[in-house]
Amino acid sequence: MKVGFIGLGTMGRPMALHLQRAGHELFVWARRPESVAGLPASVAVTAAELGRCCEVVFTVINSSADVEAVALGKDGLGEGMVPGSVLVDCSTIAPDVARHISARLSEKGIDMVDAPVSGGAQGAIDATLAIMAGGDGAVLERVRPLLECLGQRIVHVGPGGAGQVAKACNQMIMVAAIEAAAEAMRLAAASGVDCGKVKQALAGGSAASRVLDVMGARMVSRDFAAGIEARLHHKDFGLVLEAARKVGVSMPLTATVAQQLNALMAQGWGRDDTASLLRVLELE
Amino acid sequence: MKIAFIGLGIMGRPMALNLVKGGHAITVWARRAESMRTLLEAGAQGAASPAEASRGNELVISMVADAPDVAEVMRGVAQGAAPGLVAVDMSTIAPAAARQIGIDLAAAGVDFIDAPVSGGEVGAIAGTLSIMAGGSDTGFAKALPAFECMGKNIVHVGASGAGQVAKAANQIVTGMGVLAVAEAFAFAAKNGVDRSKVREALLGGFAYSKILENHGQRMLDRNFKPGFKSWMHEKDLNIVMQTAHELGLCLPGSAATAQMFNAMVGSGMGEEDSIAVLKLLEKLSGQE
Repeated sequence: MKVGFIGLGTMGRPMALHLQRAGHELFVWARRPESVAGLPASVAVTAAELGRCCEVVFTVINSSADVEAVALGKDGLGEGMVPGSVLVDCSTIAPDVARHISARLSEKGIDMVDAPVSGGAQGAIDATLAIMAGGDGAVLERVRPLLECLGQRIVHVGPGGAGQVAKACNQMIMVAAIEAAAEAMRLAAASGVDCGKVKQALAGGSAASRVLDVMGARMVSRDFAAGIEARLHHKDFGLVLEAARKVGVSMPLTATVAQQLNALMAQGWGRDDTASLLRVLELE
Repeated sequence: MKIAFIGLGIMGRPMALNLVKGGHAITVWARRAESMRTLLEAGAQGAASPAEASRGNELVISMVADAPDVAEVMRGVAQGAAPGLVAVDMSTIAPAAARQIGIDLAAAGVDFIDAPVSGGEVGAIAGTLSIMAGGSDTGFAKALPAFECMGKNIVHVGASGAGQVAKAANQIVTGMGVLAVAEAFAFAAKNGVDRSKVREALLGGFAYSKILENHGQRMLDRNFKPGFKSWMHEKDLNIVMQTAHELGLCLPGSAATAQMFNAMVGSGMGEEDSIAVLKLLEKLSGQE
């Protein structure tokens, strides 16, 4: 199949390569041409041109505004993609923006699936991403073989935007768990107890979690080099709180964690790992 | 002075009337024609568009709902503007949005002043609003006679956007203040203590505030009629939290308060006064 890919960063690049290795013909476009250097792919001059020659186009882009510009803007995908082709957006963006893009593309007969992922750079490299999809079920089935090149767990959550809602839920739970781990480490250290031993003791019990394993280890070894850049979680929390506001629900814990992330940003740690939430607690 | 006034809602209408009473020549425009009736009867001129309203006037004042409305109105104003026009927006919008509108209008030769108010409908009718302004000294000086017809405590806070920063700060204090009084009352009641006596005792000490005195009394009376609607306070706190997110600013108290107001809007209390947050607290603690 002819597959387009836009957004070839830490996540996008290994994902695109998996599709190419599975035997698909890869087309790419990037705002900065240097980011597509060395890829076994045809390079398009505009997103519209890429859209014109592909049956399915993937996007993995950082912000709602950028996804909207690539999909609906001048020389964007909407100007090139043909009726019956599918946009699979793996970016993390606001659910209502995903719905808006989907509605606009459907006026031209273009289908869209929102398919944000969880699992980080390692998951992208290992092709073990969790994929949460929103959109029409029949359209999802058409692109499922492609998604299976990227991850093992593909869940059709619901109609357009539902994938982004699931991703928002994922981010809330994960970052709140990082904050909980950081606070536990802080309490242990302030009480004169060895953090590493506490983490080791907890691993066998009810508080065990992947976040405690991975992020807890970084906190114990004070390794704050990014895994996941905290600024991305900060961005996601903006989306989550905005989504909560739109439907009028109270999320007191998420709101509090968001403030800790704001403090983290103020320290200039946005490009460090989110385990830096521990360092925010140590400021006090 | 020849002044155009745009936006004649709960706040705008009495503010414009006070300008008429102050002897100014007023032209008005509102999206819904019937909103203009009171002002036309009081002697104001009607206009067919923001552009027409601004034509031939020295000062234009807007009082509308949200940033996109202000931007739209001001685009029209710029079309009708004579050189040297001062445009004043008294709505509550994000500081960043106000600054951008100021930049856009400057390109059209219009001096923009952001001048949000505090004091509610009561203050608007009585002409006792607090007015917090941001923008140039000359623009502020030109608008001051109009401000003096509408308000009492008038402060030129700083450069463009500074008025909205002060208003956001005002909403932080009032939002948390209302929640603090409501929590104190919920605390007293759950302990079986008479809330009105607690209010009375606190009024003499450091916990005294206008909110404890006025809003506290309305909580005791269970008078949840607006006043200041909770959806508007929710909107204003959203401006605060968005700005905090953009700046990297840790505001844990405001964040918790904003979530309570989210819940109020979501559970159908949006049209009630923001003091109805007391009812939400009572529900959470099983005090209904």
